[in-house]
Order: sequence, then structure tokens, then C-alpha cells
Amino acid sequence: MNRDEKQLYYAKGVPLPETPDVPVQADAWSKTSVVGKPLPRVDAYERVSGTAVYASDLTLPATLYAAVLRSPHASARVKKVDVSSAEKMPGVAAVVSGASPEADVLWPYSPDMKTKLFDPTVRYEGEVIAAVAAETPYHAWDAVRAIHVEYEVLPFVSDERKALDAGSPAVHAGGNKVKTETYSRGDVAKGFAEADVVLEQRYRTASEIHTPAELHGCVARWDGYSLTVWESTQGVYSIQARVAEVLKLPLSKVRVINKYMGGGFGSKLQAGKYTIIAAILAKRTGRPVKLFLTREETFLDAGNRPPADMTIKAGVKKDGTLTALEFKGLGTGGAYPAGGTSLIDWLIRDLYACPNVKCETTDVYINAGPARPFRAPGHPQGSWALEQMMDSLAEKVKMDPVQIRLKNIPLVSQARDGSPPYTTTGLKQCIEKGAELFRWKESREKAAASKGHLKRGVGMGAALWFAGGGGPPSTVIVKFFSDGSVNLNLGMSDIGTGTKTVMAMVVAEELGVRPELVQIENADTGTTQFATPSGGSKTVPTESPTVRAAALSVKQQLIAMASEELKLDGSSLVFAGDSIASKDDPSKKVKITALAQLKKRGLVVGVGYRAPNPAGKVVNPFAAQFCEVEVNTETGEVKVLRFLAVHDSGRVMNRLNFDNQVVGGITMGIGLGLTEARVLDHGQTGKMVNRNWHDYKVPTSLDVPVDVTSEPLDIPDPEANLTGSKGLGEPVTIPTGGAIANAVHHATGVRVFESPVSPPRLLALLAGKRKEG
Amino acid sequence: MKKRDHHDRKDHVKTPPGGITRRNFLTTLGVGAVGVAVADKLVGKPAEAVEVIEPGESARVTLHINGRKHNLLVEPRWSLLFVLREHFGLTGTKVSCERGECGACTVLIDNVPRYACMTLAVEADGREITTLEGLMKGEELGPVQQAFVEKDAFQCGYCTPGQIMAVEGLLRKNPSPGLDEARRATSGNICRCGVYPNIAKAALRAAELRRGK
Amino acid sequence: MLPSFSYVRPGTLSDAVKQAASEGAGVLAGGTDLLGCMRDGILPLTKLVSMSGVKDLRGIAKRSDGVLTIGSLTTITEVAEDKLVRESHPALSMAASEVASPQLRNQGTIGGNLCQKPRCWYYRGDFHCLRKGGERCFAAAGQNPYHCIFGGGPCFIVHPSDTAPALVAFGASVRTSGPKGERTIPVEKFHVLPSVDVRKDTVLEPGEIVIAVELPPAPKEAKSLYRKVRARNSWDFALAGAAIVLTMSDHIVTSASIVLSGAAPVPWRSKATEDAITGKRLDDKVIAKAADEAIRGAMPLAQNGYKLHLFRGIIREELKKLA
Repeated sequence: MNRDEKQLYYAKGVPLPETPDVPVQADAWSKTSVVGKPLPRVDAYERVSGTAVYASDLTLPATLYAAVLRSPHASARVKKVDVSSAEKMPGVAAVVSGASPEADVLWPYSPDMKTKLFDPTVRYEGEVIAAVAAETPYHAWDAVRAIHVEYEVLPFVSDERKALDAGSPAVHAGGNKVKTETYSRGDVAKGFAEADVVLEQRYRTASEIHTPAELHGCVARWDGYSLTVWESTQGVYSIQARVAEVLKLPLSKVRVINKYMGGGFGSKLQAGKYTIIAAILAKRTGRPVKLFLTREETFLDAGNRPPADMTIKAGVKKDGTLTALEFKGLGTGGAYPAGGTSLIDWLIRDLYACPNVKCETTDVYINAGPARPFRAPGHPQGSWALEQMMDSLAEKVKMDPVQIRLKNIPLVSQARDGSPPYTTTGLKQCIEKGAELFRWKESREKAAASKGHLKRGVGMGAALWFAGGGGPPSTVIVKFFSDGSVNLNLGMSDIGTGTKTVMAMVVAEELGVRPELVQIENADTGTTQFATPSGGSKTVPTESPTVRAAALSVKQQLIAMASEELKLDGSSLVFAGDSIASKDDPSKKVKITALAQLKKRGLVVGVGYRAPNPAGKVVNPFAAQFCEVEVNTETGEVKVLRFLAVHDSGRVMNRLNFDNQVVGGITMGIGLGLTEARVLDHGQTGKMVNRNWHDYKVPTSLDVPVDVTSEPLDIPDPEANLTGSKGLGEPVTIPTGGAIANAVHHATGVRVFESPVSPPRLLALLAGKRKEG
Repeated sequence: MKKRDHHDRKDHVKTPPGGITRRNFLTTLGVGAVGVAVADKLVGKPAEAVEVIEPGESARVTLHINGRKHNLLVEPRWSLLFVLREHFGLTGTKVSCERGECGACTVLIDNVPRYACMTLAVEADGREITTLEGLMKGEELGPVQQAFVEKDAFQCGYCTPGQIMAVEGLLRKNPSPGLDEARRATSGNICRCGVYPNIAKAALRAAELRRGK
Repeated sequence: MLPSFSYVRPGTLSDAVKQAASEGAGVLAGGTDLLGCMRDGILPLTKLVSMSGVKDLRGIAKRSDGVLTIGSLTTITEVAEDKLVRESHPALSMAASEVASPQLRNQGTIGGNLCQKPRCWYYRGDFHCLRKGGERCFAAAGQNPYHCIFGGGPCFIVHPSDTAPALVAFGASVRTSGPKGERTIPVEKFHVLPSVDVRKDTVLEPGEIVIAVELPPAPKEAKSLYRKVRARNSWDFALAGAAIVLTMSDHIVTSASIVLSGAAPVPWRSKATEDAITGKRLDDKVIAKAADEAIRGAMPLAQNGYKLHLFRGIIREELKKLA
């Protein structure tokens, strides 16, 4: 893992063991027979038949259901919590609040900021006040409604743009500034002086909520002093670490399991207070407790993508060469430190070649729910500003948007110390191939000719993702049974991206077994190996090389057995179908399942460790996306007609899952671009007004075109790791919103600086333009 | 109402196949006695004897779930979703918003897709309910399920049962839908992973599979 | 999770009326709105009167006088797909097919659609607003992009129904049964402005139940449509919409009925727009004038000024289609 990636959000606060650096001798695959194929998922049956048991599906014998009382105020002091009538209600087994001795634990918002679990100081709407466990969820909610709380309602600040104003209420005693970070290379003043055109624009992206389909929560059960938690999570080991830390338990006494999880998008990388509350209620009652949030609660207290206020100033020469970029960003992770400006300037620093760059980002507190990492933290926000700026610059110097981007392709990571090269970069090819397949020029001309009030527009955006190379730690065990079937043991979660399928395919590739004969044991701290949570587009590049290493270990052992049996040197033997044969004389072979030693031992166990990434190089995925929209200038409606995405994520491990991931990322980007925004009641209560799926609008089947094409570059990156793969999950959603905004501009001549491009916003801008025009 | 008497069972709670729920709600809910006392209030009474199920009391209902008849006691406030998941262990029907805004709990009621979260169990009395589990033929996937596998029409899989039921409902009504009809039929089902194009294609593939192609 | 309530399932309409007249009772038909309101704690109902045992309130039929009667328990899907409705009253069919989501259309009823509660996020949310007996309307000075530009004050909701504007445009009536017997109310007079009573959505008396919608025959030459603009293409209520019913003779508009949705706390009939086109040929100039008339007298709030452009745009676009 690169030094900077160790600081990444998905690893924050998690003790990261180092895995042994055991060199594996293996050539890059030249031809593959399984890897890369469009195979259906190995766990598809479970997911479509209903046999997959998600954490929220689990009801253990004697389960109690929990419900949480939360603050209705954005800022308040809890003066009194009276649970006496709630405790007496039918079906109620336990009520806990700040006064309960077992709830006297500290919740670490950050290493330096810990508060009581039920903190009497409420800094955001939805902060926990008390919780109930009862015989049914109905009884639990009856009791929650019967808890009486006295609050002293305090002033709040809900708009990050006002957080640093004199007179704004302080969320924390030290004031509302979390931190300011700066970055600089070259000399921007000199760069602007050299430019033929200098533009300055202000952008904003709204806060978004993850709202995965499966609610956040868990089932907690104690067996004496051992706690088992079935949590809907992207990483069982991060939950284990947090629960052990807060409840002061040995790691071995906290087992976390999650075989199937229903979406997270970054919001389930970490434990929530709900995990601790469930454990406390289970302890108190001596019964399993099932605590899943309501949908409304997930809007308030399960993370968000911070809003971003961005000013970008750019200088460009007539030929399209960037001379300077200056960026100022403001963001908020809510009421606690939560990466409010994390990586929002990364694309400005690193995507396009530019000698002079200066960035300053300021993270502030407001009285709103803490952020959690959200798919490609910071990147879609920065991309929204940068990609629109690139188009604006192109317009000014009369260049095609594709050409201006191609003019500024870097071959090194300019923003990292020493400007290290990328192992591979497909940025240029992504843009070129995409433009060609999309028929960019022709489409653009055709769209520009559209008449009437239905205007067509074509736009694009390019991207890279800061991480996506993966790296240690990872340990994988492959058990090869005497009948030739395989058990694969690894700690990673499959969060819906198809990683289990990819891993089975890697085993299949090396050991010649059919993927469906690979049984996978994963995501259980009690029985599987340590893994970092699945996030950061690093599960495939982290785990698949490790799986290959483990399979190779099995292979070596089997070859050693065959070598003994055939009395041939191991180096002359190769796998050939279901046999091991001599390279020189294929008639000299032995069927693997017939190996006497294998039969005797019953199985061969191979252990694989993730080797470090190449020193001095950067492994990043790249992308370009193109879209066509139709704008109704009478109503402000935007219809996305088609999308085409070209991604460089190294080797395509499974074409079906790959394309699927692209489709999903684009849908989420359409949400950022067209429909999604958290709305807070500024000036009145600071409360969130759109805390449900009706008022908070995630795209539906009618908002996404069927015509979404994924054409991967599929350039294996052998230097990066043993499978040549790079990450995919986040780059797919980075350039989408900006590409849509660019297409809308192409259609209408109106630049929408603030997301989302909703009919209200677009109509107002169109009317303004008509007035000017 | 079609009766399937040959499937009738006397016991109130079906033990879910392969599930983990193992619990008889009548013995653990603490309201069983009250429930029994008011049983039969609704069924088979003449119209003039309008009786009120009071808060905390239970009503006796008959639910026909996946071709089997179940008599059980429910509180009027219980949603069909709650009863399917927490009493029958039919967790193929997912819980996600409980406010009719996502479709994860879509089931067929008399062949028509509806939200189980917005349907009181007591209102499903006497109706034919089909859940994801009801599309299976033994251990074999039904055509819509098979089509979702082939077209990779899901990621996390959590909204998938609802999507499948929406498509099943569409195909029972219209065996040969077009792409736009498929998109519209699934427009009451949010997929946060965002694989709508694949879902629409799966719907068309499912229509083919149902026709034996 | 819903709080407790008592439940009754009468077998006759008269029993249902009796039950519904009791204190704290609510009428449960499709339940898609009612149960949501109860979940959100905005309807303190203690008893639900289920209509599922009452026969003969579901279905669409043509009376001998040509009036279409739609039983109040007819689902929105059934209205949207009914052949009679589609042929004679396409605007209603279009409006019904734009309601909410397929599953909600399969469950929600035409009666419920007319009686549904407003969708203001303060009213539905955790805010003790005027409409719930509180002291203030939070939308007035708060987040109000989806609120009304006509008929507002002291509460600024918009009426959420898509079918109601179409029904008003066709001159439809609501048939009700209540403790005082049956009556017929024009849909145009069915809903209540907040300035009249901020706590009331409809003129229904306690215990009064909608039993049918009566749709007078539309002239053969009538053209009609319903247009709905929303922020998202499913589930959403109208940012703005219009039901338009025209009769034309020799390209001249002989009668017009134009009712706006997403505009006001009740379906908003725009007489000014109707007048601007009646007796005229729908040329660009007349259409432009009609569009301007559609927003005459509008009082936008801080965040919904776009609706002025939107209603004009809709009227222009749709009248051009009908011209």
C-alpha cells in the first residue's frame, strides 16, 4: 500500500496488520480461459431465490427488536430523559439511556474526539437519546413514543457557508473550523500571466445521502462473555475493531459476520452507535437484539456525501494548454470530524497536466449528521467543477471539449511527491476510444442542429480515482479437496460488486476447477482471514492477486506431488485440464484427483499473501464518459438519452460484472447530476426536510436510459499486481454528473453551476438567459 | 377466492425452508391469549354484527401464501411485510423503507404487484399472496429469477426480490411486454445500485423464458 | 411502525358510515396515503374502518344517461387502463397513469386519491405546523420550492392529486354517503382552501364516505390531455401540471377547461387561460397570451418562482399539441 493510501478513509481507525511479504514467482496471464469472461455470479442463485440471509433477514430464537429515540433538534442540551412509563409498557424488555450504567461508554468520532454514547449535548438532529428492546418492533416503537425528554433547544448553524461567520453558533467549543488544508506546486500567478484566457467560476454540489437498500443495523447476541454481531457491513473486521474498542473487549470475544449485504456505498465501512446499542441491549436482556434503523433514520444518522462549495480559477493558452489552476473548496462533514473536504481537490491537482496549481480546502462543522465516505469521496464534487471548467475553457479558446482534454494528459502523478509515474494510464485512450465509439463529433453536430423546444446536447467528462490499486494487508487460504473441488477462505465482503465471483474465477483460472465448484467462506471474523473493508475500489486489486498467490501455492504443492509420482522434475510439469503433465511429453501425466498423496491427505492448503505494490509508482484507474441529453426548454426537464463509458481498470476480470458496475455508477451519477440533494431547513429549525425516498429523489428506472454502453480498455497492468487488475467501483461514478452538466450546457447554452440540474433550477437559468438574450 | 384445500394445514406458523427464524409467535408475543379470545370476530359473521378489534387485540385471518393456506392471529396494525418476514420467515420479501417508496417488499396479491409494507396483514385476509419464494419450483429458479441471473440484473441483491416480483406481475398480465413497458412496470422499485438497464433487459428475457425459449 | 388502533371491517356501507362517524375514526381503502400519514404521526386516528368488506364500490360503468360512474374503491390502475375512460376522457386516463408508482396505483383508489393529504414536507415531517394545529406555516419562510403560487395562505400546500384536476376539467362530481344521507358534490367544490379552514382538506363531514365519482359524457369532438412535470419520473407529485379539455370547431376553440396541478392548495381552474383561447384559433400569439394568463395573479414564494416559467411552458407546449 502506498504511503498516502494508508491514510485512506476505508482504513482509518482500523488497526492494519501487515501481511508477510512472501514473493510469488508467477508470470502475468497471457491468455485466460476463465478470467475476463462474462460469467453469471457465483452467488446469483442465493440472491434471486431468497436463500441469501442478509443481516436484516436474521431472526434468532427469542429475538428482541430494538428502536432508538433520537433528538428532533439540530442543537440542544438534554436536560431530562424519563423512561419510567416506557419501561412499564407491554412487551418492553429494556430501555437504556444516558443514565444506564452499561451505556457509560465513549464513542470515538475521531481519535481526539470522544463523546458519551448518549451524549447530553446534541449537535445534530437524529443524535441518539435512548433505546428500547421489546418483543416486537411495534412494542419497541410504542415505548420510544412514551419516553419523555426535556430539551433546552440551542441555536444552530446548518449552512456550511455560514459556519465561519461571526455570530454563528459554535458546534464545538473550539469553533466551527475543522481544518484548512493547502497544496501548491509551481507558481499560479506566473501561470495565469502566461494564459491567453483566465476563467473563474463558482460551483456547488449538494449533499447526498447513501440510502442503500438494506437498512443500517445489526443483530447482536451474547454467549456469556462472547459477542456475535451480524451486521450489514462492508467490512466485518472494522466493525470488530470498533466494537471491541468501545466495549473494551478482546478482539477474540467479538465475532462479526455478514455473508450478504444490501448495499453500502461507503456508509457501511464503519460501525454505528446502533451496533453498540444493540450489544448493550442484548447484554442487559440476555437475549438476541435486532436493531435496524428506519429509512428516515438512515437519512439523518448514517452518513452523507458532504456538500462542496468550490471556486475554480483556470488559465489556458490558445492551443488549449493549461497554465494554472487555483481551487478553493469549502465543505462539511457535519457535527463531527468526518472528512468534509476529503479529496475534493484531488482531480484539480492530478487529473490534467498543469504546472501551476494551488488548492485550499476548508472543512467546517455544522449541526447536521456526520458524513461517511460516499463512493469516491470528494471526486464527483471536484469533477463537477473541473469538468465544467474544462468545457468552459474549451469554449473560450474555440476548441472541442475532447481535444482540450487530450491536450493535457499527464503521464505521471503530478500531485504526489516526486511525480511518480503511473504503472499504466489509459486516460488518453479512454477519451479517444470513447469519442470514437460515441461518434462524438457527428453526435455533437447533430445535437447542435436540434430545433424547437426539445434541444439535444452532448457532453463528456474524464476522471481518475485517487486509489484503486489496492495493496496489503490481505491473506487468503485456498483448500483444494481430493475430489478437485475448492474452498476459498477470505475475509472480504462482496458488497454487490461481484467480487466473490471474481475470486472464484481466479481460482478456476489457476487450478482448472469450474468456478461453481469453488465454495467461498468470507466476511466472518471468527473463521476467515483479516481483510480491510470493501471500499475504495480496492477489493479486486487487493484480494484477487492474493487469491492467485494462494492458488499458486496449491498448484506448487500439487506439482510437487506429481513430480514425485511421475518421477519428473517439477519445473517440467504443467497443469493440463484435470491433469498435471510433462511440458515435453504430454503423454506423461497424472490426473490430479488420482494423486496418491492428495488422496491420502484429503486436501492441500495454500496460503496467499498480498505482495506490496511496485515502489515509486502509482496504480490508479482512469475513465471517460460521454452522454447525450434532451432538454425541454419549456419545462426544464432533462432526459438522459444515452451514456457511453470507457474505463481503464486494468484487466477486466468479469465482463458481465464490469459492465454492470459501470451501469450502476452512471445511475448514481445521474442522481448527483439531476435529482439528489439533502435539504435542510435553514433559518428555521435546521432539520432535514426530505428524509425519505419520496422527498429525497434517487433515480428510478424511468430516469436512467437503457442505452448505457460500457467499453472497457481491458489493458492488464502486470506491474500493479498478480492479476493486473485495478479498481472500478468508484471511477464509474466520478465524471457522470459533470458530463451531464456539460451536455445540458451544449443543449441550452446554460451552465448549471449548482447540482442537481432539476427543472426548477434549470428553468430559472433558462429564463434568465432568455431575458439577457 | 380460489381455495387450495389440499394444501391446508392446521398449524398457524409455517416453518421456513432453510431460514433461520424458528419461532412460534403465538407463544412468544405475549398477546396470544388476547388474540385467541377475539378470534373468529371477523370470519363468517353476518354483516350486522360489526365487531371492533380493540388495540392490542388480534384478529383471526386466513392468508394464502404461495399456494398454502394459513390461519393466524394478527394485530390490525401489523403490516403484511412484518408477518411474512418475522412470522413466516419468508425473508425473500425485503424491508427497506416501510413507507411505499422503494418496492423492496413487492409481493403479488391476487397476481397484482403491491407493497407489503403498505398493506395491513388483516386486509390481506383471504387473498392469494405470492412472494419470491413462491416463484421457485422446488430448488429450481423460476423464469424471471433465471433471467435476472443471466442478465446480471442486480448488484447487492437487496431490491432484487421486489424487482423480480414486479416483473412477474407484469408478465402475468402481459406476457410479451416491450422495453418501455418493462421500465414502467419496474418504476415502483428503487435499485440504489442502479442497474435499471439490466433489469429491463431481464424482464424481456424472462418473457422469452416463460415462452419456453 | 404504526401505533395501535382499533379495527373494524363493516360489511355494508351504512355500517361503514356509522363506524366512520365515531370519534377518531379514519376510512381505510387502499391505505397507501392513510397508513403513511399514521406512520408519520400526523393523523392521530384511533380507529380504522376498513372498506374491504363493503361490496359494490369498485368498478366503472356507463349509466344510461351517458355518465361514467367510477366506484370509489376502483384502483388507480383500473381507472388508467379502463377502455371507456381512455376513449372518452383521455386526460383522466393519462392523469391516473402518472400517479405515484405502479404498485401504489394497483393499491390506491380513486376515492383515496381525491381525499389524500397534502405532501408538504413540513406537514408530513416532524414539524408542528399550522395544518396540524401548530402556530406557523414553516413553508412560508422556509424551504418552499414545491409549494403553491395560487390560493396560498396561511398554509402554502399544493394539492397532490393528479386525477382531481382532470376530474375538475371534465366537470365530474363526487357521490358521497354520510350520516345525513347521500349527496353529490362537484369535484371543483370538493377541496378546501386553507384560508377557509387550514385543518381541512375536503368538504367531507365526519362519517361521510366517498362512494363514487361521476363523470359526465365528454363531447365527441373534445380533445383532452394531462401533462405532468416532475423532478423525477416515478413516484413524484407534480411540480406543475395541467389538465386541458377543449372542444374545437373548424380550428376555433368552442369551449375550454384548464385545471392546473401543483399550483394551489386545491386543483386550480384557470378561467383566465380558458377565456384567452375560447372563441379563438390556437395560433402562436393566442397560445402565448394564454400562457401568460395562466400565471396572472400568481404569488410565488421565495423558492418557487420557476413555476411561473413552468406553467407558461406547459400551457404553450400542450396547447401547441392540441392546435
